[in-house]
Amino acid sequence: MLGVRTGWSGVTVSEGQHAGSLPRVPTAGFAAGFATALRRAGLPASPDRAVWLAAAFEVVTPSTRDRLYWTSRAVFVTSREQLSVFDAVFASVFDGMLDPADSRGDTSGPPAVGSEPRTRPTAADQRPSASAENDPRTQQEPAPSAGGDGSDQTGPERDAILAVASAEEHLHDVSFAELTEFEISQMQQLVRRIVLSTPLRRTRRSRRSSRIGGRLDLRRTLRTAQRSGADTIRLVYSRRREHPRRLVLLCDVSASMEPYSRVFLSLLQGAVSGAHAEAFVFSTRLTRLSRQLALRDPDRALATAAAATPDWAGGTRLAESIRRFVDDFGRRGLARGAVIVVLSDGWSQDEPEQVSAQMARLKRLAHRIVWVNPRKVAPGYRPLVGGMAAALPYCDAFVSGHSYAALTELADSIAAERMLATQKQRTG
Amino acid sequence: MTGPARAGAEDDVVQRVPDVAALTTALDGEDYLADLGLATAMFLAVRLPQPILLEGEAGVGKTEAAKALARVLDTPLFRLQCYEGIDAGESLYEWNHQRQMLGIRVAEARHSELDETDLFGEQYLLRRPLLRAIEHAGPRPAVLLLDEIDRADAEFEAFTFELLAEAAVTIPELGTIRATHPPIVILTSNRTRDLHDALTRRCLYHWIDYPGPARIAEIVRRKVPSSAEPLAVEVASAITRLRSLDLAKPPGIAEAVDWVSALAVLGVDRLDPTSVKMTWGSVLKNRDDLEFAGARGADWLVGGDRE
Repeated sequence: MLGVRTGWSGVTVSEGQHAGSLPRVPTAGFAAGFATALRRAGLPASPDRAVWLAAAFEVVTPSTRDRLYWTSRAVFVTSREQLSVFDAVFASVFDGMLDPADSRGDTSGPPAVGSEPRTRPTAADQRPSASAENDPRTQQEPAPSAGGDGSDQTGPERDAILAVASAEEHLHDVSFAELTEFEISQMQQLVRRIVLSTPLRRTRRSRRSSRIGGRLDLRRTLRTAQRSGADTIRLVYSRRREHPRRLVLLCDVSASMEPYSRVFLSLLQGAVSGAHAEAFVFSTRLTRLSRQLALRDPDRALATAAAATPDWAGGTRLAESIRRFVDDFGRRGLARGAVIVVLSDGWSQDEPEQVSAQMARLKRLAHRIVWVNPRKVAPGYRPLVGGMAAALPYCDAFVSGHSYAALTELADSIAAERMLATQKQRTG
Repeated sequence: MTGPARAGAEDDVVQRVPDVAALTTALDGEDYLADLGLATAMFLAVRLPQPILLEGEAGVGKTEAAKALARVLDTPLFRLQCYEGIDAGESLYEWNHQRQMLGIRVAEARHSELDETDLFGEQYLLRRPLLRAIEHAGPRPAVLLLDEIDRADAEFEAFTFELLAEAAVTIPELGTIRATHPPIVILTSNRTRDLHDALTRRCLYHWIDYPGPARIAEIVRRKVPSSAEPLAVEVASAITRLRSLDLAKPPGIAEAVDWVSALAVLGVDRLDPTSVKMTWGSVLKNRDDLEFAGARGADWLVGGDRE
């Protein structure tokens, strides 16, 4: 059903193979066939990787399932996100060919797609004992292994595989109308304004400075002296260069935000492709879209982004999404000193206390948090309850974004600090 | 980068690392416990040879893996800690300008002739890790660790990889330096940004999972030989239990080692609620986590293994 097994034709095996002993397969043909199966499932398994795998089999004889698994995994997988898809393809390819002895013992992994219901191997069929000694995963772990996704892991992980497999379906679901020329140019203008106004920070890089008082730059001083050949050396100073802070956009794409999703997403797209901003969307789970949105063509970028997001117009797990962001990206450096823009109506299934706790964590990392809430303009709207009220104390600015005109307010609020700083410089 | 043009590893390396099991044993001998997956991936990196990108949570031993590998091959480790704004002057080479100026003054004082070639001689060259790894004279290739490559700029990433693919550096004043033993390259990343396709295309990849309690206990025993054996086992299972909570900063292997060291210093040889209460601080380093775990209680943490 995933299109993985159909068309798989790299290997011919005799019936009745047992776990732990692989048939002798022509390695080059095997590598090429496996690469094709992986590519169909959405992994970037290029032909030269297949060549690597063939070379790898020269040094690691693929005589057991374990060896085959780890060798091809090291070669074909290029990021953690691909592990679940890889495992699924690996399992489906080897279904029937080998006993699916769960030699990884990794309980957090997804069920092998297409192979359930699966019967556990009998004790006699168990993995080779030598590798069991070496492999920590064969010991049962009470805790979820890396990532700590918790108990609900099987669900979303499974979704991810399906999302990879059926990109077209998602496109139908989301159906983005194409942007008009006018909308595109409006958006670009707006984004340019935002980009120009992100606050600065000092970087480690330096630039030449004519003013005395910076750091004496010996390298440049000597080079200048060499060039001019003069006896007197003119001292060259350097100053720390200033750089706009990183801009991170977190956009709510749950059902309640649907009327605004398309506009906000094109804002995200402009910011990513024009300003190297980082973009995430969330409803029940968090998805990083920076890569998908980096395409120059807005329509194509939006289509790719839609395909990559498994949960358009779902419920809202605001606290959970912020927690994911902080844990998986923010703490590692992405949010540190950054300007963070949250685009959400603040309606959430999570408890307000949770939202408040996660916002506090985000606040400790970020330089500035701007909240864009399109419902702010609605008559009688007051952010008194629920997630919005909980989040508000941690926001540096709270703006509306129900229209293009209103979004310019966002640019102003991002710019606010820079204007202040410039004024201070002038007067001080 | 295309095809089996590379003739595999050098004979000396092949002899030291004949197969995956031998590498596992050798790493074990250096007190580094690698599971089959990591050992296979590192074996391929050494034997193909091909750069390898290691990822995993903080504290699962990415950097340690590179260090242990260098010890196994009995070869130097050159480590480049990446950061934003790192450039060629900090990673590859830089001229020692202060010394050059001094050289000029000395030559003037002695009224001796000074050529430009004198000023750009080897003695004025500051060698940074990339250059040193390429220049390494052998007999075996050096291990080059590019730590936290995701912190460097994308341009630096591209520059580094071009250099490593060529295994040669051109210094305008000196000429081209070509590696006689191209280094074994290990990269680590914390995923603060997406790495460039050009990089991932050229690397093997391994995600290091967090180890189970038995392995943690084994690591702890190796690192803190003075600790009593039951203590290591109890701490390992307590750490695993803590990791099952939804903590902001789940304790890692370093915390397990710290904790056992702390308990050993206090003269504790069995983990009990009292000793846990005294030593929370060496395991949990975040106020929210402390409150959260404290609410579950020290008894829960200690008593879980009697379930």
